[in-house]
Amino acid sequence: MNTANPNIERRDPATVMRLSRLGSLHQCRLSFMRQLTRRMAAEQWVFTRPVFDIDDNGVGHAVYSAQSPDHIYSLVAFAHDLPPEQRSDRVIAEAWDATFALFDGVPSKDDIQRLSQNVPLQEAGRISESELSLSRANRSVRLWTHVVDRLAAGQQPDLEQIYKVGYLMRTTAVYGSGKFGAADREKIADRSEVSGPFQAEMLSVYLTRTFVRDLVQHMASVKGGTQTAQLDPQIARWLGIGNSTGLGMAPFIVNHPILFNNWIMVREEAIARVRSIETATEAEVAKFLDIFERSKLSISWWRSEHPIQIEKLTALNADLRAISDYLDQTDLTGNRPWDRLILWSQAALSEEGQELLASLILEPYGELVDGLSSCMADANKSAFAIDGAMPVETVRHLIGNSFGWALDLNWSDPVHCARAWYVSEEKLEPRLGERFDEPIAEYEQPLAPARDAAFAYEALSDWPGKAPIAEFLLRHPEHRHTVRRAQMSRLAPYGEIRDNTISADVLPIDMLRAKLSFFGATHFDPRSDRWVRICMYSGAPYPEELSSQSADLWVYPERGQ
Amino acid sequence: MNFSLNEIEATAKRATRGAGYAWGIAEDAAKATRWLCSQGVDGVVELARVLEREFTGSLDDHVPAGLYCDWDGGKDLCPLTVGVLLSDCSHMLLTGPFRIRQVASPMMLLPFAAHAARSQNVVAIVTTGDFSAATDGARLALRNDCPDWADHVEVALGDILTEPCSPQTRATPDPIAWKILNRIAHRTYAPATEESRLLGAGAGLSDND
Repeated sequence: MNTANPNIERRDPATVMRLSRLGSLHQCRLSFMRQLTRRMAAEQWVFTRPVFDIDDNGVGHAVYSAQSPDHIYSLVAFAHDLPPEQRSDRVIAEAWDATFALFDGVPSKDDIQRLSQNVPLQEAGRISESELSLSRANRSVRLWTHVVDRLAAGQQPDLEQIYKVGYLMRTTAVYGSGKFGAADREKIADRSEVSGPFQAEMLSVYLTRTFVRDLVQHMASVKGGTQTAQLDPQIARWLGIGNSTGLGMAPFIVNHPILFNNWIMVREEAIARVRSIETATEAEVAKFLDIFERSKLSISWWRSEHPIQIEKLTALNADLRAISDYLDQTDLTGNRPWDRLILWSQAALSEEGQELLASLILEPYGELVDGLSSCMADANKSAFAIDGAMPVETVRHLIGNSFGWALDLNWSDPVHCARAWYVSEEKLEPRLGERFDEPIAEYEQPLAPARDAAFAYEALSDWPGKAPIAEFLLRHPEHRHTVRRAQMSRLAPYGEIRDNTISADVLPIDMLRAKLSFFGATHFDPRSDRWVRICMYSGAPYPEELSSQSADLWVYPERGQ
Repeated sequence: MNFSLNEIEATAKRATRGAGYAWGIAEDAAKATRWLCSQGVDGVVELARVLEREFTGSLDDHVPAGLYCDWDGGKDLCPLTVGVLLSDCSHMLLTGPFRIRQVASPMMLLPFAAHAARSQNVVAIVTTGDFSAATDGARLALRNDCPDWADHVEVALGDILTEPCSPQTRATPDPIAWKILNRIAHRTYAPATEESRLLGAGAGLSDND
């Protein structure tokens, strides 16, 4: 990553990589959805709907194509008539309101026939190298019924209801990268438009949102006939796509330390660059203030019934008032204004508020920040190899760097190892269990890097410091994964979570939120300590509205819209 | 049936773990199996053959006794533990050939030789009997059939690589070997209970709203 000589350094991984802070991250300019919408507008992608074959019961299929300068991608959507008792967000569900595949190119009739026999089955079906993702969605029953009924009656839906729920359908899984037979990431990794992390998945969700809007209009027309109202585009704009995410996502950020590091490090680099700016122009300050006001509006729509998030939202709302007071009294044009703001926030705000501000200060500086997005993928294939010549003492030093805080914990104390991550036989779903209450320890997944680091550090202490690590690993293969991670940390200082992922009080939702915030999600709504709902693309322009003016700041609503 | 290479890797990792190897070895074995498949060699067959030897019951007998002489163990060497050592010690490839005695499934050494070649930016040649393989990390060229067991394998520096295998983006593993991997992988899955279904996955508020 090029460093534009920032005088302010990136924040210390020991601060950034705590779980409570990762669980307080907010979307920013670098978020994957915004990368995609900016690119689609800049490259003037062409969108078409070659097929919309849905019957009066809402059953059928549709195809939505997106043409980039070099490739065409098509969402193949299947709509189903789902009995309400089968509607579940859980991965153990076996039927959904709608199912999708992102096809690489334009599907033929044979392709659609093949997909129709597999995509509705999701995990129980097979897709092919022609497909880039597999996903499904369920209706938000409350909002779906409201919108269909209103439109059918010739009326527009109530915006307050839309703000409250945020979406007509929520996806419950979006599988990519070779899952269930789909193409491996390598197939598309060299295509500029989808080489960034999760760009194919984000495109799939973007097209899904358009399909859902069209489907609700179709169902309203079936019900209301000629008196049906056309959904007002200004209202449709606030319909996002929900996502309901469970534990499956949490292991991802542990299992991909280089990739996760790249996301975090790029954001930290962006923050450091902006903090290093000596003076801000009036226009830059005005843009920041405008975005801050708009983000307050978005946050005012953020609802959660979960006690933890309720408390965090209370703190965040207090933070917003404190920020407003600070901004009223502070001249942001001179004397390293953004650094002053961040330093002030560290003492004055909760982690929610601190991370919100850290994201918001990037907004006036697209030219300084957006280019960094090209560093967010993991293209470093060689990082996996272990350098066996590295001396034992160097490995110990690397482990100490990331896990110094963990080395003295008593890892046999049940408080520190109360939980164990495992994969259940049923649908191969990752789960988190109670080590001392359930028979799961022998199935434990390697998702406790801190504990494993402490064990490896201890084992290494018996070895001569100059001995090559290969010799140690020959005798102690059980520490191999830890040594690999320690060596990766040279390239990936933000690759390790600096918290205990198996403690009695670990909150997996913090891990989920860290990942989802990079997608660009908003309105995190935990449904338990290990399951969260979010909103995606709320406020985004639909394909026919996409322009360089609308492609970027849509995540921040404007009053009067 | 054909599979994505990601599916091959994921199943190979679980199977290697299920066979009793450490997680770190399972990670390497999974990448190795994927690499063989990407070269058009059925890595699934090779891995299944290794796992069925059940070396992990007495792994110490199947690893090299030391780094600095010929690699030899008390019994047949496990190609996974030898393989990771080969990959870890890629720097030693520059100062002389590795000589490996009595190794099972020597084909499984090739991805690790490839690792070593890539790390050192060289071509590595793996020979046993009339079989030889040349790799620069990305490409693989094979000559004659690889035996299931070798009394003596040499891994040395090579110079050129001719007529490499054509790269594959999908794998069509032997169905019996694939079944074996899945059977062994199954040992890593905890039996589902109603309690884990509710608590472990974190069911909370209603999700039909």
